[in-house]
Amino acid sequence: MGQANCDTTAEPSLERLLEHPAIWRGRSVARAATLSTGFTRLDVALPGGGWPAAGLTEILTVRSGLGELRLLVPLLARLGAQPPPRWAVWVCPPFEPYAPALIAAGVPLERQLVVRSAEPTWVIEQSLDSGGAALVLAWLAPGVATSVTVLRRLQLATQRSSTPAFLFRPLTESMRTSPAELRLIFEPQLMGGCVRLLKSRGGERRPLELRWQELNDVAT
Amino acid sequence: MSSRPPDPPLPLESLFDAAPEAWVALHLHSAQAASSDSMNALARLAEIAGDFTSRVSLEPPDAVLLEVRGSFRLFGGAQGLSRQLLERCRAAGYAPHWSLAPTPLAALVLARAGQGIIVLARDRLVGLLAPLPLALLRWPDAELERLDSVGVRTLGVALRLPRAGFVRRFGPKLLLALDQLTGAAPELRRPVACRERFRAQVEPAFELQTVALVLQHLEPLLKDLEHFLRTRQSGVDLLKLRLQHRKHPATRLDLRLATAEAQATHFAELLSLQLSRVALPAPVLRCELRSGVLQTLVVRSESVWRPGEYGGGAGRESPALIERLRARLGSDAMYGLCLVPEHRPERAFGIVELNATPSRRTSQAWCTTRRPLWLLREPEVLVDAPRELQLFEGPERIETGWWDGRDVARDYYVARDHSGAEIWVYRERLPPHTWYLHGVFG
Repeated sequence: MGQANCDTTAEPSLERLLEHPAIWRGRSVARAATLSTGFTRLDVALPGGGWPAAGLTEILTVRSGLGELRLLVPLLARLGAQPPPRWAVWVCPPFEPYAPALIAAGVPLERQLVVRSAEPTWVIEQSLDSGGAALVLAWLAPGVATSVTVLRRLQLATQRSSTPAFLFRPLTESMRTSPAELRLIFEPQLMGGCVRLLKSRGGERRPLELRWQELNDVAT
Repeated sequence: MSSRPPDPPLPLESLFDAAPEAWVALHLHSAQAASSDSMNALARLAEIAGDFTSRVSLEPPDAVLLEVRGSFRLFGGAQGLSRQLLERCRAAGYAPHWSLAPTPLAALVLARAGQGIIVLARDRLVGLLAPLPLALLRWPDAELERLDSVGVRTLGVALRLPRAGFVRRFGPKLLLALDQLTGAAPELRRPVACRERFRAQVEPAFELQTVALVLQHLEPLLKDLEHFLRTRQSGVDLLKLRLQHRKHPATRLDLRLATAEAQATHFAELLSLQLSRVALPAPVLRCELRSGVLQTLVVRSESVWRPGEYGGGAGRESPALIERLRARLGSDAMYGLCLVPEHRPERAFGIVELNATPSRRTSQAWCTTRRPLWLLREPEVLVDAPRELQLFEGPERIETGWWDGRDVARDYYVARDHSGAEIWVYRERLPPHTWYLHGVFG
């Protein structure tokens, strides 16, 4: 009797064990916690159904200001509305974040913190470790040392603090390896953009074309 | 003319309080009292006394009085309290005569007589006071001589004199003093005024070459500060540090905290971060630490988890982040955003000094037309714009600001550049109709 019970429960418990976020089996979809991107089709394409809730995400573009920030606006708006007031930290943005546009997109201005520093990686790690940040957006200038060691340190910091961090980096970095949880390439298109996953734990491989309108569809 | 600060008001409870009191008098030795800094010594003793009770009073030039009845339980009774109090005094380099008695004047007289005794019951008091010389009351010499001439030399004899005759011959003031001595009349004592700022300095025996050495010498000052703040149940959000050099002008550092804090370790950590940015122009001769205005300290419980771990204590950690960043990078390196009701795009947003925690207030959007997520600090001139750009929204005419001399007259367009990015450009309405890039839709 007891033997039979053991047999039936053995397999489900093994399955449950393998669902642990720390275990990743080949091309199976990782069960890490995720945050919805606000774009339905992007959610489907990403492993787990959204941005990693704890991990480093790299967004690679030819240059800044092609529309890559718009991928994150829904997340900024949603995290900003969540109850314990926490900062959205912008580390070394390439231009001035423009308040009227942010407020129009529903991003609460009082929770945005812009930091300009010659030591962006230090700022990123401090923000993550403090627990006072809801998410970190960072633009690393070409001069900043971004060895694999530095990136791994940041990746570990995001996991320690269960806080997402997004690094915007030039497309040339796609040739080099990175310990980031998720890497994607963004290219602008007419009224939208094209997202290609460069590295993900079981996400969609085909390029995904997004229209900015889709966001409005979801919102309405 | 020196302007004295107004005396603090008498404590209200002393007017109504009928409960028995227990006063400790600390009386400095004549050698210590005679030295020039006897007031300093009294202030220091009052500081120490402040750790045992909130009712401390000075009796210049040489004594401090403190009411300790309410503190007995905490410090292990009258015995335990007086032992700890004297240990603290000795540690600070003072060895005062002391006494504990139910009235302040009696405690003072007993301490002046050099008797280190504890009397709690009022009925034992007269018996103990009786043999003591009358001179201990420090009445005017003329009165003491008159009393001496009628054979009144001890407190006991003075207390036995008929009251009516005593008032007639020596006045009501002296009778009141006798009543206050035994507790028959209450004596109200002014509490000592608390210092409202912390100020301390350290002058090391040798010149400090490195920041690490400076920090090491600041540590005891920070400990003192913590103690100072704890006894006042306050915190500070501003610390001023002044490092003096031999020839160079002094290096000044302002440590601004997001919320009032009182922990020495916290101050030390932020100071070390801030000092790491500073290059000392010369060795340091003297360090001076001053606090800002004291603020009520709101004590919160610490989180069990590390900051951020399992979502632990998020509301608490936000100020810590701002403080750490500010200490290392300076205030200019970071800012928040706000909205300004203004039509000129470059003035429609503002940069705000950061508060400790993100505020809960929300601002309303007022601009209905599309705006880019990024704005360039300075508009960039576009050469050959009409041929390279594909304009597809606009023009939106913005023509305003003539009243403050920074008038703009522009036609804004949403355009797409050769790489496909959406940008926000404008064309000056005045000749030579230059095109500028002003924003990126990002």
